Amino acid sequence: MRTALALVVVVVTALMLSGPREIPSDASQQEPLPKIAPAPQFTLTSQDGKPIALADLRGKVVAVTFIFTLCNATCPVLTPMMSLVQDRLGRDFGTNVAFVSITIDPERDTPETLKLYAQMYGADVPGWHFLTGEVPIIHDLARRYGVFAAKTADGDIDHSFLTSIVDRHGIIRVQYLGVRFDPEEFRRDILSLLRER
Amino acid sequence: MRMVQNRRRFLTTLSAAGAAGLMGGSRSPGQDAPPEIATVRLAKNIGTCIAPQYLAEEFLHLEGFVDVKYLSEDAGIGQSRAIAQNEIDFSLNFAAPLVIPIDAGEPITILAGVHSGCFELFGNQRVRGIADLKGKSVGVQGLGGSPHVFLAAMAAHVGLDPRKDINWVTDQAITPKELFAQGKIDAFLGFPPEPQEMRARNIGRVIVNSAIDRPWSQYFCCMLAGNKEFVRKHPVATKRVLRAILKAAELCASEPARVAQRMVDGGFTPRYDYALQALKEIPYARWREYDPEDTIRYYALRLREIGMIKASPNKIIADGADWRFLNELRREMKG
Repeated sequence: MRTALALVVVVVTALMLSGPREIPSDASQQEPLPKIAPAPQFTLTSQDGKPIALADLRGKVVAVTFIFTLCNATCPVLTPMMSLVQDRLGRDFGTNVAFVSITIDPERDTPETLKLYAQMYGADVPGWHFLTGEVPIIHDLARRYGVFAAKTADGDIDHSFLTSIVDRHGIIRVQYLGVRFDPEEFRRDILSLLRER
Repeated sequence: MRMVQNRRRFLTTLSAAGAAGLMGGSRSPGQDAPPEIATVRLAKNIGTCIAPQYLAEEFLHLEGFVDVKYLSEDAGIGQSRAIAQNEIDFSLNFAAPLVIPIDAGEPITILAGVHSGCFELFGNQRVRGIADLKGKSVGVQGLGGSPHVFLAAMAAHVGLDPRKDINWVTDQAITPKELFAQGKIDAFLGFPPEPQEMRARNIGRVIVNSAIDRPWSQYFCCMLAGNKEFVRKHPVATKRVLRAILKAAELCASEPARVAQRMVDGGFTPRYDYALQALKEIPYARWREYDPEDTIRYYALRLREIGMIKASPNKIIADGADWRFLNELRREMKG
């Protein structure tokens, strides 16, 4: 736990100090992101207890990731990093871009728990949805997004990290492995999809 | 197990391959196109460094493979032959022992580099650098095996002639590691978990650590290779296997403790502490950074210099490598 917290501090501090970088002038000319597959659809329950479907977010670029609030290893790196990207997206966040963090521990992550988690990480909740739902539905959804998640004997969750960026038309365009990716590249990919018609 | 390719399956395969866009189209094979085959066979041996292969099972199921088989095979050349002879479909294997059978015309296709930094050269007090191997006794399990091929390439890199300058010691009854520990040889090349064990026992000194020392650290050690026919017939499955392995490699980099425990639980390695140490030391997150072609070119040049292969690096790459799947995944998966 102490190691994880230290890692969070180091990563987030480094990101903060680096400040927002300008998008390279040739960004608009970069090769379009590939069209991987239609994003698996879902309707789950938000931190406010309301139903949210991926279809509700059509027209926005959506980053879909899987977390759980009791994760003390690498989730505490991913969520602050996405929070940083949220801030750097400025007015586009919420209006044109949405983040969706789906718990893979729905038995423990109730809407109330997710609400506290969102507050803890400074999530701008109108644009960032923390979702929970029924166990089999969530596990099937994680599987369809290519995320491995399984409960261990000690009640912990063994899982992989994969964050999918979905374009305005509901197509997965790129996936980010793990939690050590470059948040600026992540932001650039989101912006490149916003520029697409 | 042999799959019978009936007409329906053939048409399904063709249509999946078409949807995959691997033959020049613009679409990528994604999660929507299922693998053309439900079974995939991978190698299993005592090497810790190929952890992503062991860990890939769950990811392979996610990719649509129903039956994931692990078949025991020797590391190195034996494993390459098992791929060529269609006994296994894919395996992570060391770069140099893949180049030799490709040179011999074996049907193997290298798909990607996965990580660097497997091997460590251990020497006694008489060995302080690779050049000091001249005139020394160096233990290998067998000539033509991975340690021999890697060491020969290393010797060639510093201008030695490995055929004349090194006294190769082979002993089927006792491992080079134990021969070295008993003081009967001057050096040997260790692969995980051997280096971890030697350091724990405080035996010998590390002359080259391929995770750190150049040029070895700049090239891949383990690369994913597949049976050429499998790759040709099953492009969607091939891409899915590669994606599973790369996801598993990322997990090795980000969660080494969890992965080490799973390797012990799965019976892939007996010692958690050595596995954890190896997983922490091996750079598993470089598959997007390094160019696998550089690795093939480098080892092909060294092996050609010492007469272990005849073909040029370009021919080895043309005959035995296919980067299309990796190039697509590099665009689709970041991190």
